[in-house]
Amino acid sequence: MTVARPVVRPRLPWWQVGLTVVLAAGGYFAATQIRNELEIREHLRIPSTRLNELAIRLQKQERRRASLEAAVGELRHQVAVLEREAAERQSGVARMNREVSELRALAGFTPLEGPGVVVEMRDSPRPIEPGDDPNKTILHYTDIHAVINDLWAAGAEAIAINGERIITRTGLNCVGTTILCNTKRIAPPYTIVAIGDPARLLAHLQRPAGPAEILRAFGFPLRLQGLERVTVPAYRGTTQFTIVRPAGEGP
Amino acid sequence: MWLPLIGLLLGILIGLLSPVEIPLGYVKYTAIAILAAIDTILGGVRAQLEARFDLTIFLSGFIINAAFAALLAGLGDLLGLDLYLGAVIAFSIRIFDNVGFIRRDLLDVYFRRVKRARDATG
Repeated sequence: MTVARPVVRPRLPWWQVGLTVVLAAGGYFAATQIRNELEIREHLRIPSTRLNELAIRLQKQERRRASLEAAVGELRHQVAVLEREAAERQSGVARMNREVSELRALAGFTPLEGPGVVVEMRDSPRPIEPGDDPNKTILHYTDIHAVINDLWAAGAEAIAINGERIITRTGLNCVGTTILCNTKRIAPPYTIVAIGDPARLLAHLQRPAGPAEILRAFGFPLRLQGLERVTVPAYRGTTQFTIVRPAGEGP
Repeated sequence: MWLPLIGLLLGILIGLLSPVEIPLGYVKYTAIAILAAIDTILGGVRAQLEARFDLTIFLSGFIINAAFAALLAGLGDLLGLDLYLGAVIAFSIRIFDNVGFIRRDLLDVYFRRVKRARDATG
């Protein structure tokens, strides 16, 4: 090589050629690198030396996001459970409403209708003769009570007398020639309306030695009527308790 | 002396204009390779000034140093060790050394010329 060195160019700059190639390559790489770095800074607004830190932060955030997503899923599940519970509670409320309406019907706070009987009782039309006890020609509350008790016994589900609903607190008593029911005065003719199986009610009332027979025997006009549809009005009196309270609760 | 400068400018121009994208993850490695290249180039300049330039050593040094520096950085990443810092420090020291020697060599050349000129005139 040294021998073949051309004499025309005695100092052929091999080192210059090599340096040129190397510098070209180095310049190319450096320029590419700088251009890329500038682009990175332009896009990410940070030098590439901070990429690792950013990557770690990103990983942390991603892990946090994953855990938050899991929390979101859990919370959604809870919401679904609560909604289902709320719906169930609402259906519970509906059930309670049904129960309340049933209890109100049972307690006598709602008008009721159904098949039943109508019992019409009147005082005896027999004229009172001298020496007669007038008590024997008028109906007493015990007579009415007897009829009502027999109706209950025969399976009547609701009873009213002259538009007064018989409830648990209903009392019947006599005041002079009138009868008090629910503290309201009722006068003859007494019309007792009872809801229940008409055949059974009538049969029970008309059984031997039953109230119907006895009343008729004493000369009281009595009309029994089984009907497909009778109406019993609601209780109209006061519903307030002033003294009692449910047992088991504190004073 | 113009040829290497023209080469350098040409390389820079191509690098700036070419749309080559270095993947984000490799930016660190290429940076170290460039550091190694700069070291090699300065070493070559110094060798030339000291009249012991060898093209084979120069070219092989350029390629091997750059490649090894990048490899070292990659290995450091694998190990979870900032090994590329070692390469950065080593090359930086060498670059400073080379720059220092080049400066002295250039001064030597200059003083020799001044002395020669003084001798010639004086």
